[in-house]
Amino acid sequence: MITYQQISSKLEETKTYVDGVISKAKKDGISQVEIYSAYSVDTELSIEKNDISTSTHSEDTNFGVRVIENHCQGFVTTNSRDTLYQSIEGARSIARSQNMPDDCVELPEPRSIHPVDGLYLTDLDTFGFEDILNSIRKIFSVRESQFPKVNIDTGSASVSKGFKFIASSTGVMCSEIRGDISASFFGMAVDGNDIGSFDYDSATGRNMAMFQKNLDHALVSFGEKCMGSLNARSIQGFRGSIILTPDTVFNFLGDLLSSMTGTMIRKKRSKFGDKLGQQVTSPLLSIFEDPLIPCFTGSTSFDREGMPTEAKEIITKGVIHQFFYNHFEAKKAGLQQSSGNASGGSSSTPGCGPKQLQILPGKSHLQDILKPTDKTILVNRFSGTSDAVSGDFSGSVKGSFLLEGGEKIPVKEVIISGNMYEVLNRITDVSRERKLLGSSSHVPWIKFADVDITGTDENC
Amino acid sequence: MDTIGDILRDFLKDCIQNESGFVELRYHKKEARSISAERGRIENTQLKFRTGVAIRVLVNGTWGFSYTGEINKKSVQAAIVSAKKSAQLSSVLRKEKIPNLPPANFAVGSFIGEGITEVTEKTLEEKIALVMSMAGDGSFPSSRIQSIACGYSEIYEEKAIVTTDGADVFFSLIRPEFRINAVASQNGVMQVGSESIGVTGGWTCLFKDFQPAELREKACKTATDLLDSKLPLGGTQTVILAPSIVGLLVHEAIGHTVEADFVLSGSAAAGKLGQQVASHLVTLCDSGISEFYTGAGGSIPVDDEGVLTEKTTIIEKGVLKSYLHNRETAEKFGVKSTGSARAWEFSDVPLIRMRNTYIEPGNSSLQEMIDATKSGYLLEGPKNGQADSNGEFMFAVQKAHRIENGKIVGLVKGVSSSGMAFDVMKEVDMVSKEFKWDLGSGYCGKGQPAKVDAGGPYIRTKLKLGGTNE
Repeated sequence: MITYQQISSKLEETKTYVDGVISKAKKDGISQVEIYSAYSVDTELSIEKNDISTSTHSEDTNFGVRVIENHCQGFVTTNSRDTLYQSIEGARSIARSQNMPDDCVELPEPRSIHPVDGLYLTDLDTFGFEDILNSIRKIFSVRESQFPKVNIDTGSASVSKGFKFIASSTGVMCSEIRGDISASFFGMAVDGNDIGSFDYDSATGRNMAMFQKNLDHALVSFGEKCMGSLNARSIQGFRGSIILTPDTVFNFLGDLLSSMTGTMIRKKRSKFGDKLGQQVTSPLLSIFEDPLIPCFTGSTSFDREGMPTEAKEIITKGVIHQFFYNHFEAKKAGLQQSSGNASGGSSSTPGCGPKQLQILPGKSHLQDILKPTDKTILVNRFSGTSDAVSGDFSGSVKGSFLLEGGEKIPVKEVIISGNMYEVLNRITDVSRERKLLGSSSHVPWIKFADVDITGTDENC
Repeated sequence: MDTIGDILRDFLKDCIQNESGFVELRYHKKEARSISAERGRIENTQLKFRTGVAIRVLVNGTWGFSYTGEINKKSVQAAIVSAKKSAQLSSVLRKEKIPNLPPANFAVGSFIGEGITEVTEKTLEEKIALVMSMAGDGSFPSSRIQSIACGYSEIYEEKAIVTTDGADVFFSLIRPEFRINAVASQNGVMQVGSESIGVTGGWTCLFKDFQPAELREKACKTATDLLDSKLPLGGTQTVILAPSIVGLLVHEAIGHTVEADFVLSGSAAAGKLGQQVASHLVTLCDSGISEFYTGAGGSIPVDDEGVLTEKTTIIEKGVLKSYLHNRETAEKFGVKSTGSARAWEFSDVPLIRMRNTYIEPGNSSLQEMIDATKSGYLLEGPKNGQADSNGEFMFAVQKAHRIENGKIVGLVKGVSSSGMAFDVMKEVDMVSKEFKWDLGSGYCGKGQPAKVDAGGPYIRTKLKLGGTNE
């Protein structure tokens, strides 16, 4: 297994090489060039149908090359370092093929970065293939002993180590070495002719201790979710309340947050363009981002453009505090600099988006929320479609339950429909308890009122 | 003179000439170009290169996988050693060892895709000009249209696959796609209309049915029409599905459940071979070839195990006939591989995937189907879809046209539909003569993307629509 020291040496070698390539480009008259490099060494053991499937060891490097000439941008990615200079020329050629200069298209000047602790814990150096095998043994053992009716359709345990690095002709130069252990499982419970819904869970950690703790939780959570969808029955439709579990809340809020990006606002695809400082959701909802929490998997000290990240309020008691900007969108919006929210990696040009969201807890106890007095659907997973522009959503609920009269009844063939922007103003409860998703985001359970719930025409 | 295909095949064969066990090498070069524009400006123009060699070995009945981005003998052979070591180490935990794979219908030779030159000889400037002309200069055809986005992309691929047991093939193909997305706004309500096309083939093939301006007009009309639309009445309804929606249905509802790896995990299709699972009007196939006419977006001449692709009849007149197989599951089921193993990039392991999935045409006409429908909806404009292990599927549509007494009387908001796969197939009572591939710009996700297509005739069945309760 590769060590921190070896990754560090590889990073220094890459920095020197990239620096040389950028210097050559500047000499050749290419004044604005940015290179984003991602390097990873992964060892993974995959599972299929409750058995070992494939063992993979891989080493990968990818370069994203951005050239701006005459305020036009070209972008090329390559996985071959030998073709890096060729890629710069290719990106310049793409930039030249456009004849629509935009003054806001430029590379940002460097700003100071404050490192985040715990992105690579050195005891990861000793994590070996035998440890991955042991993790798989544990997955099999928990399944067989506690959830024998659950089939793991696919899954894996892996360790990933590497770095990300960005350098540009304007003087941006920053890097991070990262490493983590992770596992995931996807499957369903089968009990005779009764086949439950697919479900999944995952665990990750910066070292063995964190990973093992999260793996224990995730395995039980996965098993319980799969088993919970057995014996599901159809119900009649109604208009009523839904409770979203933390995983579902996180996915549900994705469209809301994409409407708060500089890109969506500039393109007039967002309802929020003129809503900064205004109430857009129920006052029970507060969201902030914090990319600087030590050891969290979504933590990072710099964004896709090498600009510093920071903790900040996004929505407080339903009021919008902040939109997400990269350098270009900030300039377009008349701002001096980005909000450190350039998103993406080596395979794409910088987009805009949040970094490591945290949703504030509410005042309701989860056990009270889960004993509603009204007819309520507890949504464990949403399999459907949603549209950030209109806010319309519609889809099936999976592994979900009808909560009625103190009973918790697994349901199937239930569709929920509505408009996200309207529903977000009908939040009735936010739980005090929160779940840490992917060792990255704390998210509570949230209850919404007056949602259209379609069932079957008759009780089955 | 040797072609690039010959050179690559010889290089791979040289890398494994001294191997005794099973080794599969897959060279994969992928070039993806994309251009997007909106509100009078180029938003993005980019080019992605990914080239490398994937290595798969079978040691002690266990798969080992590795890859390298360095195309030389030393790196490939080092990756073979790495894959063997990984397989050896993990085999201690493998309960059911994979036996030696029986021979398959291996491809040998070179297969050059259609339309490659036609697409690549168009300059970047020409493609940018097309996208810009469709995205407009900021002035729109209606005051209610707020934004128009246009995107063009193409993926060019070269693959060479060589195995120690007989596959020895090179192929290339190109897949261009074109998309339009319009946003309409009125009194605080915003709606989106989208049109997209994609083919395996050339420029002429891409625009054979609709010119770019027609697609733009359709997208704008959908967005503005939807501004006044309401949710339909929720519940089980009689529906006529357009070919694109039939494509979504057969892909999500049936296709995934008959992928043999899902079958082995206990999918809803397990144990149903030979059983009547659909109306006798339904014959459902998945093919690597573009049946009926050229251009289907999921076409591949050879799969990523080097096996020639074929037309697989999954359901014949309502009876389940076959699953989709790779070499490993084919051995397990005692059948031949259907050529369904596919990998997105050289860094991906081949998985069982669909290619072009469809229902064969029937005898009715669309007009006859509408005339015969007292109360129901005509669904068109595919969005996304998902399948579940228990056979319950979900897909979303852009538009639902209300049908009353044999007439289309209005438009309601597109919503999601769901049902149990085989129940919905059993309810099919009319199938049209018309046939269309109509999901050519679609991608399927199963841990890694795959380019697929799907389609068919119009069909009439019953589905549950999400909607209001009153």
